[in-house]
Amino acid sequence: MSKFRYIFIGFMLTFLSSWVGLVVLPVWGLGNFKQTPDPATGEMIPPLLSSLEKEGRAIYIANGCIYCHSQQVHPARVRTDIERGWGVRRTVARDYMNQEIAQMGTMRTGPDLSNIGVRNPSETWHFLHLYDPQITSKGSNMPPFAFLFDKKKKDPKNPAKDALTFPAGFGPGAGYEVTPTHEMRALVAYLQSLKLSSYEIPEAPAARIESLEK
Amino acid sequence: MLVASVVILIVMLLGSVGALFAFSWAATHHQFENLEEAAESIFDADEPIGTPTDTYITHES
Amino acid sequence: MNPKIAPAADPEAVEKSRLQRLEIDRAARWPVGIFIGSSLVWLILGSVLAIAASIKLHDPAFLAENAWLTFGRVRPAHLNIVAYGWLSTAGIGIGLWILSRLCRAPIRDNRSLTLAAVLWNMGNAVGTWGILRGDSTAVEWLEYPTYAAPFLLVSFAFVMLESVGLIRRRPPGHIYISQWYIMAAFFWFPSLYFTAHGLLVLAPVQAPAQPPINWWFAHNALGLWFTPIGLGAAYYLIPKIIGRPIHSYYLSIIGFWSLAFFYAWNGMHHLIGGPFPAWLITASVVASVMMFIPVITVAINHHFTMVGHFKKTIYSPTLRFVVFGAMCYTLASFQGSTMAIRPLNSITHFTHYTIAHAHLGAYGFATMVFFGSIYYIMPRLLEREWPSRFLIRVHFWSCAVGFIGYFVFLSWGGVLQGLEMNKDTTPFLEIVANTMPYLKLRTVSGSLMTLGHLAFVTSFCWMVIRHRASSGEPTLFTNRVPDPDPIP
Repeated sequence: MSKFRYIFIGFMLTFLSSWVGLVVLPVWGLGNFKQTPDPATGEMIPPLLSSLEKEGRAIYIANGCIYCHSQQVHPARVRTDIERGWGVRRTVARDYMNQEIAQMGTMRTGPDLSNIGVRNPSETWHFLHLYDPQITSKGSNMPPFAFLFDKKKKDPKNPAKDALTFPAGFGPGAGYEVTPTHEMRALVAYLQSLKLSSYEIPEAPAARIESLEK
Repeated sequence: MLVASVVILIVMLLGSVGALFAFSWAATHHQFENLEEAAESIFDADEPIGTPTDTYITHES
Repeated sequence: MNPKIAPAADPEAVEKSRLQRLEIDRAARWPVGIFIGSSLVWLILGSVLAIAASIKLHDPAFLAENAWLTFGRVRPAHLNIVAYGWLSTAGIGIGLWILSRLCRAPIRDNRSLTLAAVLWNMGNAVGTWGILRGDSTAVEWLEYPTYAAPFLLVSFAFVMLESVGLIRRRPPGHIYISQWYIMAAFFWFPSLYFTAHGLLVLAPVQAPAQPPINWWFAHNALGLWFTPIGLGAAYYLIPKIIGRPIHSYYLSIIGFWSLAFFYAWNGMHHLIGGPFPAWLITASVVASVMMFIPVITVAINHHFTMVGHFKKTIYSPTLRFVVFGAMCYTLASFQGSTMAIRPLNSITHFTHYTIAHAHLGAYGFATMVFFGSIYYIMPRLLEREWPSRFLIRVHFWSCAVGFIGYFVFLSWGGVLQGLEMNKDTTPFLEIVANTMPYLKLRTVSGSLMTLGHLAFVTSFCWMVIRHRASSGEPTLFTNRVPDPDPIP
């Protein structure tokens, strides 16, 4: 038994070293951010999510959006994120402090969503895109989320006010109308809240961003 | 940042010293002898070295 | 290389060791058998979900009407099922059997291990149902909701208890490298799962600190759980089958310690370029490149042990699968080390190339080694032959050819995807369109792999249900005749 004891101690120590490096130190160094005031407006940033936006984040998590979409902007000299308009600067750890469950992602089957709330704020666009991605993005391999919408027979005398208007060739068919469910509204509210690299924060002041862009 | 660097430095120094110590302990306590015996420990009288233990029964050559 | 034939042993010693081995295999029949048998159910389910997910990536409207089958749920369900339902379950069975053999001690506690197997399977079932119904944690590799975790942890506690019991009952003398690897895996895995589930799901730390912990866990599930069991199996089965000891035991010890230390630090290479301190990412990049050391020791060891005996892969299905797997281990690790280097990473990160690489490790290496191990273990547990050489051939060639196709097509598509993503002038939808042919080829390749799995499960059920009298086409098992030309 004694020789095994040494082997055991050895392999648990090597394990422990990684635990210190990749668990303890990150929690220590990246786990205690506090909001700071925005130099321009004085509001505390990054803002906390509203309860609707938090509901939307839960839908995002439940439906696995992370498996195709990342939420991290990379520096200009390494990737083309900034040129593609996915952010004005790289995201830093502080940007994620209010996300509660980080959805940074590791796949870009679809574009990065860090600042989707800035580059694509239109609620209607998101409803159409999520109902059937082919409407706004022909050839996309994103799945349709029609199950997050209500489809019912259209009453011509009393059409739903928030029914979606589809271009020719799309939609539920004649006589039906489609309205977003509460979950869908929450999801879109969450997407509209994603403005991760849009704040001036202590680690990335506006002046430094400007000089990088030159 | 500075604290992190110091912590890492300490961990790495401790780790390296520990590894060197473990290696020298192992060397002086005969851990590197009889390695052949260790490799042969998977065999026994019934499945000795030289006898394949997984083949088609009809395999003649 | 040390050509050696054991001196003719006295018949009493031969009989004694034969009976001891028989006792060990018989005691393992039920506990190991139930883990291996149930892993095959998950293998098939995981393969079906894999094909569904693959089709959805080039035909997004496929099975998209229902929330339960949306890509974002099917994909993590596939991953968790193959990781914890197929690989982990089979790994537990294989690990316990090898430990029992090497400790020369029969498995004792059938009841608690049966309970462990039931709980483990329940944990996977509950976890899968949870993901599909929308309770996924969306923490990569840790998607089973919290209510599945107690099943897995209690089950694993029983497995660990038995493994410690086996180690304590071992005869004095050497502890073989496979025992090191398997015992380490059995301690590392719950430590990983417990920490990660606690800090990411139960009482999550602040979001910016989560990805390092996430990828510390996920990468170590591969490197400190599947890999050591796979290596432990390869280090036992290759020499055992060909009847020669491993080429250099000294190298295998160096391999163990360098794997234990370097592998555990790799995790951050999944997050290169991300919002983390540079020192943290660089530490992982360095550790990833240092992985060349343990991987080269394993490659040298296996190669020089096999040299002159490669023909035996024709006659031993286990050897065939395990050697294929061991080669994939070398390739996957070399590839991984190169992928961690920043210039290459800037092309492959976020692309399908990463997925292909993950499958090279989890399928090309771990799955194929486990297939081989099961081919060796089951006849010894049941004292029966595999019923059909044809099915074995279908299994091997469908999986090997299918997987090579999977890997080559998806990697190629991923590199193109990455190169295009780095040109800011290429519209995103054009990049997506250009990946389509490769995604379709991946579905075809994956279907071929699934065919192989079906052949395997058919074989397995046939062997279990019907005792096939050896006639005409016997397959494996005992060879009482010493090898006529034992020296290369």
